[in-house]
Amino acid sequence: MNDIGEFTLLVALATALYGCVAYVMSARGNRIDLYLSADKTPFIVWACIAISSICLWKAFLTDDFSLQYVWAYSNRELDTFYKVSSFWGGQKGSLLFWTLLLSTYMLVVYFQNRSKNLRVVPYAMAIMLAILVFFLFLINFSTNPFERIPLPPEDGRGLNPLLQNYWMVIHPPTLYLGYVGFTVPFAFAVAALISKNLDDGWIRMTRKWTLISWFFLCMGNLFGASWAYVELGWGGYWAWDPVENAAFMPLLIATAFLHSVMIQEKKDMMKVWNMSLILLTFAMTIFGTFITRSGLIQSVHTFDEATLGYYFLAFLFVIIVACVALIILRLPLLKSANELDSFLSRESSFLFNNLVLLGIAFATFWGTIFPIISEAVRGVKITVGPPFYNQVNVPIGLALLALIGIGPVIAWRRATLSNLKKNFLKPLIAAIVAAVVLYPFIPLGSRTEIYTYTTFVLCVFVLASIGTEFYKGTVSRMGLHEESVVGALATVTWRNKRRYGGYIVHIGVVLIFAGIAGSQAYGTHTEKHLQPGESFEIRGYTIKYEKLIAVEATNIKTRIIAQLAVERDGRRYWTGHPEKEFYKGQNQPVSEVDVLSTWKEDLYMILADFREDESATIKVYVNPMVSWMWTGGWIIAFGTMISMWPDRLEQRRRLDRVRKQEQLFPAPAQE
Amino acid sequence: MKTLKVFAGLFVLVWVSMGQVPGAGAGALLQDLENQLMCKCDDKCGKVLINCTCATSDKTRAKFSKMLESGLTVEQIVKMQVDEYGETILSAPTKFGFNLTAWMTPFVALVAGGFGVRKVLQAWVGKKTGSGSEETPVAEPKISEKYSKRLKDELDGIEL
Repeated sequence: MNDIGEFTLLVALATALYGCVAYVMSARGNRIDLYLSADKTPFIVWACIAISSICLWKAFLTDDFSLQYVWAYSNRELDTFYKVSSFWGGQKGSLLFWTLLLSTYMLVVYFQNRSKNLRVVPYAMAIMLAILVFFLFLINFSTNPFERIPLPPEDGRGLNPLLQNYWMVIHPPTLYLGYVGFTVPFAFAVAALISKNLDDGWIRMTRKWTLISWFFLCMGNLFGASWAYVELGWGGYWAWDPVENAAFMPLLIATAFLHSVMIQEKKDMMKVWNMSLILLTFAMTIFGTFITRSGLIQSVHTFDEATLGYYFLAFLFVIIVACVALIILRLPLLKSANELDSFLSRESSFLFNNLVLLGIAFATFWGTIFPIISEAVRGVKITVGPPFYNQVNVPIGLALLALIGIGPVIAWRRATLSNLKKNFLKPLIAAIVAAVVLYPFIPLGSRTEIYTYTTFVLCVFVLASIGTEFYKGTVSRMGLHEESVVGALATVTWRNKRRYGGYIVHIGVVLIFAGIAGSQAYGTHTEKHLQPGESFEIRGYTIKYEKLIAVEATNIKTRIIAQLAVERDGRRYWTGHPEKEFYKGQNQPVSEVDVLSTWKEDLYMILADFREDESATIKVYVNPMVSWMWTGGWIIAFGTMISMWPDRLEQRRRLDRVRKQEQLFPAPAQE
Repeated sequence: MKTLKVFAGLFVLVWVSMGQVPGAGAGALLQDLENQLMCKCDDKCGKVLINCTCATSDKTRAKFSKMLESGLTVEQIVKMQVDEYGETILSAPTKFGFNLTAWMTPFVALVAGGFGVRKVLQAWVGKKTGSGSEETPVAEPKISEKYSKRLKDELDGIEL
């Protein structure tokens, strides 16, 4: 089976290489025979990679420790659930997983577009195949997951205990689905540049791909935060680690792209800018992979065998140089009649939104690479940690939050003073009322508290501005069709999925902002060493340490569990079970926290230490509003789903527009 | 332009001054200290002390608590740590010398970008106004002011 896996990887590489060349040659030489031949390669490449992946999964599930990779990331005692996820637990498998996702995406693109736009699609397929060639080359010749051990050991080393958490089964695939997904719009953008088809065709063809990738990247980041929160046991969810930053930067740039692309679709403007943004988004996904796999920047996420840095750096260099050269070469074709009716318009607010999003992305990028710059200039590799990012990104983030509120209420084309007054009045009044109401309850003694207060006020402003939009749409629908409030709201949303879906996503973003602000500013924690029966208080909760329980979970895992009674107003409210897990052969035990999560706050418990006399050190955090962030995530998912839902009305409107344009500018008669 | 500069100046002033608001209480001081320093465990975990849960970080916290109780200030302890382990022990760059570029560059880039966007917008609006004046000689049907206002209002509200 392992031989088959190894062989199919080689076949995949050879086929991808052939497909890439054949697609380009068929498109350049108008050779239908070559095209028909090339058109078979996406399926063959996918099938080979899928077979290879099945072989590796089988090796994990059957404890085949003759494979070095299986030995390093699994053992006989590992749950089947985690044996499946061990596939992407290390560098070799994660690269194969990346390749599997990319080839699957490519196959979907192939089936979606095989009979469409034959001038762009062959180049797009060639680009995707070229990227696959790079990854397959690495897998075949540098990090082969099918590398053998001459004398197979009896048992494996096991998966890192920190990775034995359900979030780690969900988080990496979600993140990869986002990362890899951006390859599709990137490939179409480059194909449009090569084939000189530079209208908004490539944007329309890839709009849903961009949205899906954005969604998965967003969810991947949130799932990663959830994993950090429940598994790492420090009471937080985001540490501005270089690898976290690497996943955050493409998300920001892609968000900027999703906004600015609307201007190109509506006004045929900003072609160069949109092209640059999608190329930058893809470059950032490769930069993130470079960071994880280079070992150049210290990170908790870095793979043990981070040796591929130079390959990725070279790949990144080639991508950037090629893309910049292509854009410069096609600059005359990318020129558009950039005209605006007014400085005060939604178009302008989108440009400022782009600026702020890129500002945060740049600050994050700068902080991530500054240790390398500092080492090159001064010979000292300094650390750039959370205090830097919090001080730099929070004020810029607040500007972004304000823009989320301004965007929906400012008119397209030209905002007059009268409609500005009309649209801004209600959100502004809501914000002022919120500022006055919150003032007595929120301390303003430190920068964090002032930021938090500002965030809450801005959140109310944004929610009011989005609410106004829903209200206006619903009321006008009710007036025209005599529908109920719920019916009118549903119809308005359903008939303008893209617009209202976007607003729902914004509501989710607001909840995330509020959750971050609340948990950062008003959290508290305490640590107590207790004997059984002793108790302490924190924010109105009485925590009573009852007993210590030892459980031999498996042959290699022992659980030490502290039982904590949580009382409120003299009544038992909940029982917490934070624990420490000891794995045979691992130096450090792993903390498993227990969290009582409510809409108001999380009671977060950690068993920090214990002694033979059954005394234990208990650490308790009270983190307000953390659940708002997770709720915000689900609302984003819901909003994205509405936005992506196929819209027949929009297609009909687009068709009508095209027909009208054809009537205005009739096509020249065929000779 | 002048107003924009005044706002930018005020923003920087407020931002810088707010950074100097001190926290209060022993817990807050320890938290402040943990926030400023990296964990220095043998595993080189790369975490800020406040985020680290390893055995070394627990010992370091206990040591810092004792140092704070003995009357040492956060600044003194930070200085002692830098003297012992070098600048890498700090969780963020200092705000002087070359390290200042770490703090300034994002804001300089943002302000420069802001001016760039403003200039681009001005040019685009100017182009439209310019092209509008060129188009005026073309004979257009006259629309009454009432209908023209109504059309404009509807266009303003429309989602294209």
